Order: sequence, then structure tokens, then C-alpha cells
Amino acid sequence: MIPQDRFRGLFHKYLLALFVAVAIPLAFNGVIESWFGYRDQRARLDQWLSLQSASAAAEIHDFIHGITSQLGWLVQLPWTDEFDERRRTDALRLLRQAPAIASLTLLDGNGLERLYISRIGLNRIESRTDRSADPALVGARAAQIWFSDVSYNRGSEPYLTVAITGNRPAVGAVVAEVNLKLIWDVISAIKVGRTGFAFVLDRSGRLIAHPDISLVLRGAEEATSRPFRAVRDAIGSKAGFATTRDAQGHYVAASAAPVHGPDWTVVVVQPLSEAYAPIYSALWRTAMLLAISTMLAGILAYALAHRMTEPIKLLEEGTERIGAGSFDHRISIDTGDEFQRLANSFNRMASELALAQQHQERIAKLKRFLAPQVADLVDRAGDDSVLDGRRTEVVVVFCDLRGFTAFSAGAAPEEVMSVLSEYYESLGRVIAKFEATLINFSGDGLMVLVNAPVPVEEPALRAIDLAVDMQKNVQALITGWRSRGYYVGFGIGLASGPATVGRIGYKDRLDYTAIGSVVNLAARLCASAADREILIDAKVAADVKGRRPVADLGGREIKGFDEAIPVFGISFGALQPSGRGMSGTIR
Amino acid sequence: MAGAATWTTVAYGQKPSMPVIGYLCPESPELFGSRLEAFRQGLEEAGFVAGRNVAIDFQWANGQYSRLPALAAELVARNVDVIVAPGGAPVALAAKATGTSKTIVFEMGGDPVQLRVVDSLSRPGGNITGVSSLSVDVSPKRLELMRDVLPTATRLAIVANPTSPTAPSQLQKLHAAAETLRVQLQILSASKEDEFESVFAAVAKDGASGLVFTSDPYFAFRSARLAALAMKYQIPAITQTRDFPVAGGLMSYGGDFMQSHRRAGVYAGRILSGEKPSDLPVQLVTKVELVVNLKAAKLLGYPFSAAVIAGADEVIE
Repeated sequence: MIPQDRFRGLFHKYLLALFVAVAIPLAFNGVIESWFGYRDQRARLDQWLSLQSASAAAEIHDFIHGITSQLGWLVQLPWTDEFDERRRTDALRLLRQAPAIASLTLLDGNGLERLYISRIGLNRIESRTDRSADPALVGARAAQIWFSDVSYNRGSEPYLTVAITGNRPAVGAVVAEVNLKLIWDVISAIKVGRTGFAFVLDRSGRLIAHPDISLVLRGAEEATSRPFRAVRDAIGSKAGFATTRDAQGHYVAASAAPVHGPDWTVVVVQPLSEAYAPIYSALWRTAMLLAISTMLAGILAYALAHRMTEPIKLLEEGTERIGAGSFDHRISIDTGDEFQRLANSFNRMASELALAQQHQERIAKLKRFLAPQVADLVDRAGDDSVLDGRRTEVVVVFCDLRGFTAFSAGAAPEEVMSVLSEYYESLGRVIAKFEATLINFSGDGLMVLVNAPVPVEEPALRAIDLAVDMQKNVQALITGWRSRGYYVGFGIGLASGPATVGRIGYKDRLDYTAIGSVVNLAARLCASAADREILIDAKVAADVKGRRPVADLGGREIKGFDEAIPVFGISFGALQPSGRGMSGTIR
Repeated sequence: MAGAATWTTVAYGQKPSMPVIGYLCPESPELFGSRLEAFRQGLEEAGFVAGRNVAIDFQWANGQYSRLPALAAELVARNVDVIVAPGGAPVALAAKATGTSKTIVFEMGGDPVQLRVVDSLSRPGGNITGVSSLSVDVSPKRLELMRDVLPTATRLAIVANPTSPTAPSQLQKLHAAAETLRVQLQILSASKEDEFESVFAAVAKDGASGLVFTSDPYFAFRSARLAALAMKYQIPAITQTRDFPVAGGLMSYGGDFMQSHRRAGVYAGRILSGEKPSDLPVQLVTKVELVVNLKAAKLLGYPFSAAVIAGADEVIE
């Protein structure tokens, strides 16, 4: 569970790092692009709306200019005292030509009304009313062309009075009433984008033209004009368009342009949703691209993180299994990089571990009966054919305790086991020291083989030294035991001769043993040996003669042998110290 | 009566979801055809096409103006969505008199404020709005035009319909104008078709040199008959509608009925779209047209002056 957690943590780290590495620059790029796109679009909208308002203002200007230029025809000839019928004809023709003009007044150079033509009221000819104080005439005389404020006929239809003078006083002036309702034809034809439109406000901010004629016909009504004036005021005098709300509360983009002459303002408005549609669609596009890119980044990061952690996971699992002892497990990574190299290292290590383990197992097996250094020697040789059965000269050593059975019957089990363990520990040390082969032990008895399976130089001499060492060690123990009240002795028997040696047993319970009469002889000699005695047969005695103090003990009746056998003894006390000769005996 | 029955059945064949316009018409389908066409055009401008997304329930008075109140009540009873009352003040007044809560869109020649149809032009108030063609306002102009044709005339005859709600105000204005123009007026009355002949006969007998018709839908829709009588009695005459010179009469001066009926159609459409009548100011027709018939002038022996021809919107040769 814990390694799995660690693995997931690494995967998440990689995933996060890779994702962030891709997604952050993407998002940054997207935001920057959106910002500049937004600014570009706004600038474009600004330019476009300004163009729309300017062109709308030009159209309104054309409407007014069309009327004034036609009125100009009426102020070209100087007045005489006689009425000229042609002036009436001209005026009627003009009325037909300019449908927005509701009535015309022609004034002579003295400001007297000479002709009045109306579509509704009765015409007047030569009324000679003095109109010289009329603000229209005064204004026109000052500036050649004069526009009144917008007035409302019967509180509904917007009217404008236009007065024009000629190029000299004698030609007089013309004053025309213009029905501004007819601007509707112009204003309703102005389309700003798909749903945008234009409207016109006079100097004081009253609505005088709008595609919805019913708004205009409400006259000077303040409530009608107020929202439109608010739009105009929102734009103000600053450059560029403004975003504001219209009468219905909808957000609009608006731009204004002046109409010179009557001093009106043309405002074009476009619903913000429509005006910003390109901006919105660009933003939306960027957002979609960002989302898709982020998704791709996520998938990519996942795939990469997976690719990077998968070998690590394999390595982890592999090392775990190898650690658990499956040395035959191999980590299979084929990435062609450091991971593969690492995996190969692990695999190599695993195979080496396997070899080491095999070695360990074999050593352990050999150590059951061989001294550790001998076992190493055998193992280093590489094969255990030395353990195969064969016939060879061996020295067999038997030893056991005297009076142990009686002691064990009377003593507590703990005491018995304590004595035995001290005893075997002491003997084991000696056996290992002399590189002898331990064949078996049972109770207090022990069988040791010299010269098999590994041949040694002077096996007899070594066996004698081994026996002497054993006696010395055990006797030292015995001294201690006696002080505790345990009365036991220790005897040894040695015999040399040919024997069949080899492994016996089955599968994991294999033992090394020697079979032959020499084994029996050694056992009998041991049995007949008293405490502190080492009994040896004639052959061993002959082998060590002159080098170790051997005492001829004469013939002895040995159980299992028909006739008395010559037995020799070695006084272990005579050998001081036992290990002196060892250096020379081992190789 | 039978005609009305067959026309109204059209409305019942429509889908129940379709809005229904109640169309109260003072005349017959034949006489009203051109006006109805203009009305349909206006409806279409506002996005409604009869038979497709709006149904029209017609009531025809066939010239019997006394039946208008009953027919208006009938429309109200049918619970139409909007009542259209075109063709003159009597129709609008009849519709208004029903006291219906449904919106009424009128088309008339008179002054709707003076007739107490609306409170004001800019804010009509209540549930009624519409279009005025200015025909009534320009009655004095007709007298002036006749005076232009007959500069030497001292006595001109006026024909008024005594049943018309606008007759008194028109006569009042005509008297004032006559004073300015220094002519005497001979006032004649006609409210039925069979009285027309006696009017012309009286003028011919009494020696008045020209005949000026006051604005009145009843006269307007019988232009052909009037033109024929004018030619028969060789009397120069002027009416409010172009139908008169087109049918052979001398001339006409009045609001463009095509424009007024079309705008009534637009308003009806806007009402159906959910706008409130109080938000729709009464519209005045912008175009007042002069139509002259040169052939008739020649036949009558009264040639038009250059000024009159110059000011004419249409000259029939």
C-alpha cells in the first residue's frame, strides 16, 4: 500500500508539472491574444460607428441642404412694385418639388410680405404686411441662412422654419415652414448594422427624427426625449463611441455627429450585443481553443506522465519481488534510456544474488559435517564430487563421556542439557580447528573422520592431536563439573584403515559417513577407553611413532574381534602444548 | 346584407390562434377596393398578411351610414382583437360609441381632436388612435382653387352632407374663406345619391359658376357619379379625392388616401404586435395632392392657369 501511494504521488507530480508547463503558456497566450483582439475590435467598432454617424449626419444635412438650395431659387430676382405672377408659379412648383415644405412666405427688400403659399391655408398675395422685425428675417439678414428652433404643430408634428436671403437686399427673402416628419423617409432608410438605427435631436435635445415616427409625433413631450438625450449626453464631446442604455434599458453602442446649420445632432445606436458580436465571437473562439488545448495538454501530460512512471513502477515492482527472494524475476524495460540501463543493472544484480544464494545453500549443506574452512574449500572447488562415494584410508575418532547415563538419570533435564551443550561446544571448536569431518553425534557420543572427504597430510598425526586436544578441553570441563557434583569421565578411541566413505540419506537429509571395520574398531577402542584415556590401534601408533609419545598397552580383548588386538595409548598430559605440531601438519 | 354575411364567414375559417381585425367599412367592397389594398400594404409593412397570420372580419355598410353603429356593435360582439374604422369620421364615431375596450384604429379626413375622438394628436388617450388625411382642413383650399379657375366668378356653390359630423365646421371655414376671397356662397345639401342630380340642376339653374364639394366620404366614394353629372350639366367642380378627376371630373384637392389607409394598416399591425394605442400619436397625412384633368377643362371651356398646372401633383390629359 505504501509503495503504491508513493507511485501515485510521483505520477501526480509529473502529471501536474507537464500539464502546467503546457497549460500556463497556452492560457497566457490566450489571454494576451484576447486582450489585443478586444482592443482591435473596439477600435474597429469605434471607427465604423463614427463613419456611420458621419454618414447619417451627411444624409440629414442633405435633406436640409436640398430644401435650402431649392429655396435659393426664389431669392434671385429683385422685387418691383408690381406683382409678378411668375413668382407664384415658381412658389407652387417649389411646393410640389419639395414635399416637406408646408408653406412659403416671400418678402421683398423692405421686409414686406409679398406672397404666401400654403398647402393647407389660403394663399395671400401682396398682403404687404411688414415682417421686417420677424426674427426669421432678422436672422437671415445677419447670416444669409437662418434656422429656427423646432416647433410642434398642434403639439405633435415637428416643424422647422428656414429663412434665406439672396445675395443682395433687393431680392428679398424667403421663409419656409418645413415639416420635419418627412425626415422619416431619410432616417428610416439609415440602417446601422443589422438592427441599429439613427435618430436626430435638436439643439435642446428634443427628438425630431426617429425610425419610429410615433415617438417623434409625441411632440415636445419630455419623457419621450429624455432617454435619447441621455444617450447623446453619454457620448458627450469625447472622441469615440459610448456604451449606454436606451429607453428600453438595453445596452447600446452609440456615436454622434453634428448637423451644421440647424445645429442638430445625429446619433447612431447599435445594440451592444450586435456591436460586440465580433468581440464576443472572438472571445468565445479563444475560450474554445483554450479549452480544447487544455484538454489536449491534460491528455498529453497524462500520457507522458504515464510513460515516465510506468518504467519506475516496473522497477519498483521488480525490485520488490527480487527483494522478496524471486531472484529469477527479470525487469523488462525497453525504453532505450537510463531506465533500461537501471533495469539491466537490477537484472544483473538479481542474477548475482541468485548465484550467491545457491552458494550459500551449498555451504550450509556442507557445513553440516565439514569444518567451515573445509566447506569453503569444497565450495570454492566448484563441485561436490569430493562427497561422492569411494574407498579411502581414513582415521576414525570416537569419543564419549563415562558415567553420563548414570548422571543423566539423576540430574535435572536442564542440567543434563547444559552439560551436553558445554561439551559439544568445546568439541565442535576442536573439530573445526583440526578440520575434521563430523559424521554424527548421539547422546554423549561423537564420531569424527580425518582424511575424508578432503585428504590431509599426516592424517594419523592430526587425529592424535585432535584427540589430545579434545581430552584436554573436556577434562577442563570435567574439572568444573566435578566442582558442581557431576561425576563423569571422557574417553577416546582412534583407528586407521580403509573405509567406504560417501553421502547417504535422501534429498535434504543427506549425511556423510564412513563404513568399514575400522569404524567398528575405533568405536570398540573408545568403548574400552577409560576416563582420561586415548586408545589407538596399531596402525595409528605406527604412523605417529617417534613423533608422539605412544605407550604400548598390550593386546586387549575387543568386543566383535576374535582375537586380542594390540592397543596403544597416548598420555595426553605428556603433550604440551597440543597445538605446537599443528602448524607443521596442515599443509 | 347578404354580402356582409358571405364576407364575414372568411374570418371563421381561420385558425383560432390567429388575431382577428374587425374591419368596419362604410361602403361596399367594390368602392372600397383601392383603400383596402392600401390598408393591406400597411399591414404587411408591420408584418401581418391577411389569411396567413391575421384574419380580417369585414362589416360592410354599403353606403348606408346609419347602419354603422349596429355593424360596429356586431364586431364588438365578435370579440375581435382590434377594430379598424376607415373611411371617415362617422365610422370612427360609430366604433367609439360602442364603448368597446378593444383598440380602435381610425382613418378619417376630419380633425379627430375637434370631433372628440381623441384627446390630443400626440397623446390620443384611451383605446383609440389612427390617421387623419387633412381632407376636411383643406376645404377652403378647394374654394381657393375653384376661384383660381374661375377668377371672374362672384358666386360659387358649396355642397355639404348634413349628416356628416364635420359639415358645420367645414361650412364655417368656407364662409370665412369666401370673405377673404370675396365670393358669395350658395350652400346646397345632399346626403343621398338620388339628391346629387338636383344639386347640379340647381347650380345650373341658379347661375353659380362653380361647384365645391365639402370633404365627405359619402361624396368621395361616389366620384364617378359626380363626375358624370358635372359633365352632364357642364359645371366645373372640385372634390376631395383623385377619383373624381380620374373619372372625368375637373379637379380634386385632398389628402392622399393611399397614404392614410396604408398608415392605418401599419398602426393596426403595431397594435396587434402589442403596442398600446396611447403610445401611438395620431398621424396626419403629409401629402395633400392636387389632381387636374385637362380634358375636362377643355370640355368645360375653363383652361387652367399655368400656376395651377405647375402646382398640380398629377395632370390627366
